[in-house]
Amino acid sequence: MSRRLIVAIVVLLVAAAVVVLLPFQLDGYHEGLAAKVAIFFIAVLGLNILTGYTGQISIGHGAFMAIGGYTTAVMSHYHHTNLLLTLPLAFVIAFGFGVIVGIPALRFSGVYLALATFALAVSVPQFALKFSKFLGGSNGIQTFTTPTHLWLYVVSWSCAGILFLVAWLVLRGRTGRAFRSIRDSEIAAAASGVTLPIYKTLAFGISAAFAGVAGSLFVLATNGFAQPNEFGVFLSLELLVGAAVAGLGSLWGVLIGAIFIALLPTVSADVPLIGSAHGQDVVFGLIVIGVMLVLPTGFAGLLHRLRSLPGIRTAEGED
Amino acid sequence: MEIARRIRIRERRTRNIGGGVSVPVVLFLVAAAIFLVVGSLVSPIFAQQTVAGLAQGAIFASLALSLVLIYRATEVINFAQGEMAMATTYFAYQLTLWHLSYWAAFFLTLLMAFVFGAVVQVALIRPVQHSVIAVVIITVGLFVLIDGLVTWKWGADLKFMPAPFGNQVYHVGSVAFSRQDLGTLLVTILSVLLLWVLFKFTKLGLAMRAAALRPASAALVGVRVNRMLAIGWGLAAVLGAVAGLMTEPTVFLQPTMMQAVLLYAFAAAVLGGLESPAGAVIGGLALGVFLNLIGQYVGFATSELRLPIAFAVLLVVLLVKPHGLFGRKQVRRV
Amino acid sequence: MGMKGRMLAAFAGVLVVAAVATTAAFGAHRADPGVTSTSITIGGTFPLTGPASLYKTIPAAEKAYFDYVNDHGGVNGRKINFDILDDAYNPAQTVPLTQQLVEQTKVFAVFGSLGTAPNLSTWGYLNQNKVPQVLIATGDSYWGFSYKKYPWTIGWQPDYPGEGKIYGKYLASNMPSAKIGVLYQNDAFGKNYYAGLRVGLGAKKGNVVSAQSYDPTQTNVTQQILALKAAGADVLVIFAIPTQAITALVTATKVGWTPSATIVGNVSANRLFLLAAAANGANVNGVISTAYTVSSTDPSQANLAGVKLASSIIGQYAPSLVPSLKQGDGNVIYGLGAAWTFVYALQHAGKNPTRASFMAALKSMHNVVDPFNYPGIKMNTSRTDNFPIEQDILMKWAGGASGDWQTFGKLYNGVR
Repeated sequence: MSRRLIVAIVVLLVAAAVVVLLPFQLDGYHEGLAAKVAIFFIAVLGLNILTGYTGQISIGHGAFMAIGGYTTAVMSHYHHTNLLLTLPLAFVIAFGFGVIVGIPALRFSGVYLALATFALAVSVPQFALKFSKFLGGSNGIQTFTTPTHLWLYVVSWSCAGILFLVAWLVLRGRTGRAFRSIRDSEIAAAASGVTLPIYKTLAFGISAAFAGVAGSLFVLATNGFAQPNEFGVFLSLELLVGAAVAGLGSLWGVLIGAIFIALLPTVSADVPLIGSAHGQDVVFGLIVIGVMLVLPTGFAGLLHRLRSLPGIRTAEGED
Repeated sequence: MEIARRIRIRERRTRNIGGGVSVPVVLFLVAAAIFLVVGSLVSPIFAQQTVAGLAQGAIFASLALSLVLIYRATEVINFAQGEMAMATTYFAYQLTLWHLSYWAAFFLTLLMAFVFGAVVQVALIRPVQHSVIAVVIITVGLFVLIDGLVTWKWGADLKFMPAPFGNQVYHVGSVAFSRQDLGTLLVTILSVLLLWVLFKFTKLGLAMRAAALRPASAALVGVRVNRMLAIGWGLAAVLGAVAGLMTEPTVFLQPTMMQAVLLYAFAAAVLGGLESPAGAVIGGLALGVFLNLIGQYVGFATSELRLPIAFAVLLVVLLVKPHGLFGRKQVRRV
Repeated sequence: MGMKGRMLAAFAGVLVVAAVATTAAFGAHRADPGVTSTSITIGGTFPLTGPASLYKTIPAAEKAYFDYVNDHGGVNGRKINFDILDDAYNPAQTVPLTQQLVEQTKVFAVFGSLGTAPNLSTWGYLNQNKVPQVLIATGDSYWGFSYKKYPWTIGWQPDYPGEGKIYGKYLASNMPSAKIGVLYQNDAFGKNYYAGLRVGLGAKKGNVVSAQSYDPTQTNVTQQILALKAAGADVLVIFAIPTQAITALVTATKVGWTPSATIVGNVSANRLFLLAAAANGANVNGVISTAYTVSSTDPSQANLAGVKLASSIIGQYAPSLVPSLKQGDGNVIYGLGAAWTFVYALQHAGKNPTRASFMAALKSMHNVVDPFNYPGIKMNTSRTDNFPIEQDILMKWAGGASGDWQTFGKLYNGVR
């Protein structure tokens, strides 16, 4: 086995151990926070697959989270579906939506694609208002049962682990190579025999499916309450920030990106200087700008630079 | 695939600036205009809705103009454009609190906005301008930062500024035109004209276009590319300030005042073509009128769907004309 | 059992003994969380930032009132600590913040949280954990009706459907043949107001010739006003949040429509907003709304105890709110009134208040007079009546661009 693979496995095992042992140290409230990290981990992972690996910018992943979240809420509310069962359901439905969105998205590229996905992020919550009888409208819709902090923690991190494995398997194989070639040069990829429409749409679907699961867990973390205000534009922007801080095109920074967006608001709310309400926004904004100025390629970029420092052997190859 | 990776072939895009006007688009717009005139003559409510739509659209257009200007200069979407516009409007408000007259505050604010925009470009955008994603993220951070700072300094409650054009209303038949709306339209059209003159007839405009199109070649002939980019952002901030000041009489002063407008402005800018100022204005006006008429005559199109409809229109147009009504097709060469 | 097993058993035994002893020691005076002999800790979530942030004067005023009470000895010797958290009107933030209040800060009660959706997202959790969720700042009626399933939740202000009912009754008796046009926000807030209006109109429901909704993201409502005018309405009823209420008033005048009566929901009836509408050209004389609090600007109310108290408390404990108060920002009085009610209930919850005794006190108010409420209003609650304030007075605007509201008529009782 290559040295890199060994290092990777060790890191993963350590991380897994930390995740398993953490709940014994944490109280319920902090378990909730840790679950939030897992939820954003899944969402940013999905976004990274789309934007980092195939180069299709999406500022609309909040919409896919909304779809997953409302799936869970609706199924539990009307059919009393077991909460755990709603997760794979959300995965499948969000995948479907992702493919549906991915097909017309083939026509757009670059900034136009970004704006088209942005349009999605803005529009999807409005439908919950339009069909308020079924989807609860501005009063939201409540699941039949609500999970405990521990349940949320265990399930979120399990999903995070499973989906990370799925992402890794998908990305190291043929599909992953196809994705990366699309990002580097669509024309060259097409010339080399990569069927662009299939792979680009597939990327959208997978990415959306991940966001859908994250959305389900997101709603469950909000006490099982789904409401349009939870899926505003800012959520999609937050995910993009998380992906950028993580470093696009690599799986290793995703955790850092997730921790960043999950915990920064809580941390910056405690800033004494300007007062809690405004301190939050000001500090968040400053830190996001600061991180981007210092690390434009994100955490993964930092890792990459560290690895290429003289004295550290690197193996050229795929992430 | 491996070849592409090894040699790192990148696509070069050629861009043109200047008339993206195609005959079918012009014909379509003329037909639409005729439809509006005829409808207005037939039905007073149609006329009034059209006029109201134009007034709304002028607001979208004015912010769309600044989005377009930034895109032309640096090929970047500035998510903080609305917040910058909002912040500069608050500057004007503060000036009026310090007893300046409205118009004195207006022009002083434009000056301050120019500096503000240029400083943002130099300090925050220039260091990362090679990475589109990084720039986008920075503008997102700026969005949140500005929102927090403004709320901290001035508070979140509704504030009110004096009306720039007064409150008179003119009546033509049963259709009412307010002086404010006419003023907004005029200011927006004036801005487009001034921009056009700048780009077409002045050396500065030429230099700015060169810096945007072919930075390397422009630098070779002595254009200070970085300075042109900063000026571009400064001008965009000025346009944003105008947009904010024109929006204030309709939604009044609150930190969230430009957020909804920004969304429609995105739609308008892309609708018209991200590199065409005239497109931004026509896109904005068209969007305003369209939304009002649809709201009036199509029962299903209730208010919740206003924003989705705006974007649906945008997406349909993009599917037919991927670079907007007046945009240019980008040729991708390998 | 091996060595380890025996140690484990001994350890368990010690634990059991300790647990029994501790419970015995504290059993008699087991205090609820958030209560010590010198303090009571409460908290609430408010939109300090984001789309609804113009209501942030409410928690500021509430804090001022608590500071005033603390300076005068507190309640039964306990000072009130009030934790104000910002949820930006987003339930995804309300939930973790509320959990933080309950599980980290260990508050005695959640007080005054603002917003329907935010409160709906937490009422299950709070009731499950038997945490009082009281005097919440929203006019929806769910809190009043759901006392069986959610006994720990109670509102304060008169609810929107009840208020809408008053307007309906007023129109039905004073303008029985009017053609009514309604502008309402397209969410539960606006829809509930509109539903109340129809109930109040009763047999005259059919007088509503057109009802137009608007989305909060719309920057102007011209299209809807035009539609109402085109439908022939001669009475305009506006159930909107401040920005759109003001623009609706302005637009109606601008398109040359002079309704014979205009009604504005209480939420947007702040004096500041009507002044702004007038400054922008709206014809505001004769606009009708309701009130349930005293006015800090009406000269005829200047000698009321509540008005004087408000002025002195705000002046001393929240001087930054003085300009708002002087201009007639009703949110300040609202905050004082809600805080007063909280303190009243706490005072009547016994020398060692528990959550249960506090809720019992709050739900057994009989003709309680809050000085910040309009004179004549008496708060009544019971196990089955979860609506503290059920009375409103109508008011009409006079004096144009520098005028004010003037109350008229008698109190409408029992709007439920």
